[in-house]
Amino acid sequence: MREGETVALVGESGCGKTMTALSILKLVPDPPAKITGGEILLAGRDVLRIDEREMRSLRGDRVAMVFQEPLTSLDPVFTVGDQLVEVVLAHRGTSEVEARALALEVLNEVQMPSAERRLKAYPHELSCGLRQRVMIAMALILDPMLLIADEPTTALDVTIQAQILDLIRVEQERRKLAVLLITHNLAVVRQIAERVAVMYAGEIVEAAPTDEIFENPRHPYTQGLLRSTPTLDEQREYLVDIPGRVPDLRLPPPACLFAPRCSFALARCWQQQPQLADDSAGHLLRCWNPQQFAAIERTEAYDAER
Amino acid sequence: MSAYPEERVAWEQQVERLRQERPTPLRDAWYLLSRNKLALVGSLLALFFALVGLFAPMLEPHSPARQDLFNTFERPFHSWHHVLGTDQLGRDVFSRLLEGIRISMGVGLLTTLAVLVVGTVAGMVAGYYRGWIDTVINGFVEMVWGFPLILVAVIIAGAIGPGLTAVIAAVAFINWAGFARIVRGEVLALREKEFVAGARALGKGDVEIMVKHLLPNVIGSALVMGSYYVAVAIIVEAGLSFIGLGAQPPTASLGQMVADGRNYLQLDHWIATVPGITIVLVVLSLNLLGDGLRDVLDPRLKRER
Amino acid sequence: MIAYFARRSAYMALILILSSIAIFYSLRFAPGDPTGTSLNPLTIASVRQHIRHELGLDRPVYRQYFDYVGNVFQGDLGHSLVTGASIGELLKTHGKNSLILGFTALALSYLIAVPLGVLAAVKRNSWLDQLSMGGAVLGMGIPNFWLALLLVWLFSLQLGWLPSAGCCSVSQLILPAVVLAAEGTAVTMRMVRASMLEQLNQEFVRTLRAKGLPEWQIVGRHVLRNALIPVISLTGLRLGWIVGYTLIVETIFQRPGVGFLRVDSVLRRDYPVAQFFALLLVFFVVSANWLAEIGYGLANPRIRRA
Repeated sequence: MREGETVALVGESGCGKTMTALSILKLVPDPPAKITGGEILLAGRDVLRIDEREMRSLRGDRVAMVFQEPLTSLDPVFTVGDQLVEVVLAHRGTSEVEARALALEVLNEVQMPSAERRLKAYPHELSCGLRQRVMIAMALILDPMLLIADEPTTALDVTIQAQILDLIRVEQERRKLAVLLITHNLAVVRQIAERVAVMYAGEIVEAAPTDEIFENPRHPYTQGLLRSTPTLDEQREYLVDIPGRVPDLRLPPPACLFAPRCSFALARCWQQQPQLADDSAGHLLRCWNPQQFAAIERTEAYDAER
Repeated sequence: MSAYPEERVAWEQQVERLRQERPTPLRDAWYLLSRNKLALVGSLLALFFALVGLFAPMLEPHSPARQDLFNTFERPFHSWHHVLGTDQLGRDVFSRLLEGIRISMGVGLLTTLAVLVVGTVAGMVAGYYRGWIDTVINGFVEMVWGFPLILVAVIIAGAIGPGLTAVIAAVAFINWAGFARIVRGEVLALREKEFVAGARALGKGDVEIMVKHLLPNVIGSALVMGSYYVAVAIIVEAGLSFIGLGAQPPTASLGQMVADGRNYLQLDHWIATVPGITIVLVVLSLNLLGDGLRDVLDPRLKRER
Repeated sequence: MIAYFARRSAYMALILILSSIAIFYSLRFAPGDPTGTSLNPLTIASVRQHIRHELGLDRPVYRQYFDYVGNVFQGDLGHSLVTGASIGELLKTHGKNSLILGFTALALSYLIAVPLGVLAAVKRNSWLDQLSMGGAVLGMGIPNFWLALLLVWLFSLQLGWLPSAGCCSVSQLILPAVVLAAEGTAVTMRMVRASMLEQLNQEFVRTLRAKGLPEWQIVGRHVLRNALIPVISLTGLRLGWIVGYTLIVETIFQRPGVGFLRVDSVLRRDYPVAQFFALLLVFFVVSANWLAEIGYGLANPRIRRA
């Protein structure tokens, strides 16, 4: 990821997006999960080699994370103000008064109405949208270089969703913040992401700039995702789906993980694992048999078949 | 259009095999139980004591009340005649022990069973219907729930005289509230779930919903609580008998026996230690049974829901 | 909050009134009265009748009740029918003893249970955990009278370190307090551990880690606070059970306390003493529960600021 860039990580529930995000901060719950290898580079350093103490100083300060469900993600017995202040106090040696001032400032920045009063509020006293603003404020208060947002709008109403996305975009521009946005909602991706990475069963299968992905997806899975999103300007009889189910990773397919559900699988797809390759101009692809995407004709044929 | 190489065939066969090995609830229960050896031991022990209590009259070599003043303070394991020795009045300790187990298990199990039924029904009715019936029942529950059993037992003993009846009455009076409380809470949560609305939409009657849908979900917690409550009842009965307000002599309650033997701790300690250890074992086994039940029923309940 | 408070107070008042009536009536329900136990059995019937009249025992029960209540509110608590001692006096001396014993036991149990419970949860499945939980199971299983005998045998008869009965020195307080605290400690320890484990699995803990807070702060400040809230409600119950067990412990160790009076007066059918102290204990239990509920309401911000 580049500085100030928004990258979206897309995929079905359970495909490993959250795990990937948690790995960046080494927050993977151990047990039951464990990081066994590879490398994660943060500003040139391999995160997996950094010891816990230093990791702790990075978390919340250089890399911050926002979670999906703001009600359960905030401590119910402490006020919003307390929770904001404690991040500051943990990383900077400022006084409490200074920390409070900083908290107030960042709350105003995320457009929290009556910010002064809200500092003394408890999480359950705020609405969902406001709580998520608090989460974002808490993440941005120390001006990190990377913000990881794990499905930040999934639990919210559509109207609030738009506000929060706007907020993220504004903050990103203002602070030159890199944002890793995790979502399964393609519409959200279209709105604010510059690059998209598509994940399936724990692997990235395709990655490209947003426009490119939407106009020219090459991987059958990506195509399937795009096709299955109903839009208002199409005439449909049936909803499109991708037949089959995500593989049980206790017994994964021997080569390409998507092969069982792919209409274009070759023999090679069952024999040799495809690697992530850069075909041109930053378009990464993990597939032996990429296809041209033709949305509309395909769907008519699909309807006819059904 | 798609290829069907042998790798695919092999993989699909393996997946099918994996799917067929899916464990059944019974296997799950057995697995959990066997992993928790302590709970298993506890359960078996509890069962053992229950059976002993049941068949006590047939197992007693002597009458528990029979005194033999020529044969007092006989040490245990000295003769087959009195396997565990005799007490200060020459009564056979072994027979008294059996009688004591019978009383303890009897009072504990029977009263708790009755109380469990009453409490569960009350809790279900209150949680399901809500409204005024809930207010009334819950009112009683809240009033009674915090009371220590011993206090109530002593008060009742003050009213109707000391004896086992006082203990039974106290248990009946207080312990139902614990069941009602838990069951009510669970029913309150369950009734919000779709399957209740679904059943109603299908035209099922209230009673049928309660019995067929709510009861199976609730019975688990009730049984877990039940085993703990039996233990509590036994401890209270023993304690009360110890201070003289429970079973009256010559009835051989375990607590009574410990009280009898209390003055002879220096030399003839077995009069007190034998029943004492027995009580500990009985209560311990019931607690372990409760823990085991909880481990077995909890994850299954979570999955069923 | 106000509604919560009012409701609990209403219950408390109701229970007290009903209990007083129940206790009053139940004592007179059984056959026999003090004239039977405390007078010479050869006393002539007419003399006995006269004494009954003197004591007001031949009047209708409800009249006796109202007279009694009236007297209590005027400060006249009555006299023991057996010894003639003023109940007020008895209350002062015996009440003090019981309070000391009770609170020592309560303090002891919490001082041991909370730290051990927290440690057991944090170092789950370690030897400390197994040992504490094993101890807890044992503590719940051993009836306190047997524990008392055991401890007396060990510390008094064998080792001669501590006295086996009586009042009121510190060394005489130790064994009774330990016995009284045993069961409560076991139950509380299990509860604390369970509560801590539950809180450690909550989502907000993940957020706290993502903020880069040190582990001791997360557990000691946030998790502990949340975990102790249900334990507070438990305190009321614990106190109630301690009150109950005091009856047994005081009798065993022959401490002149309220519990001992209660048992003794029941056996001797000393109505005024029996009913007063029964009521006192009930009052204590109900107040303890009430205080615990209020405490819970104050500690849990969701109720405090509903």
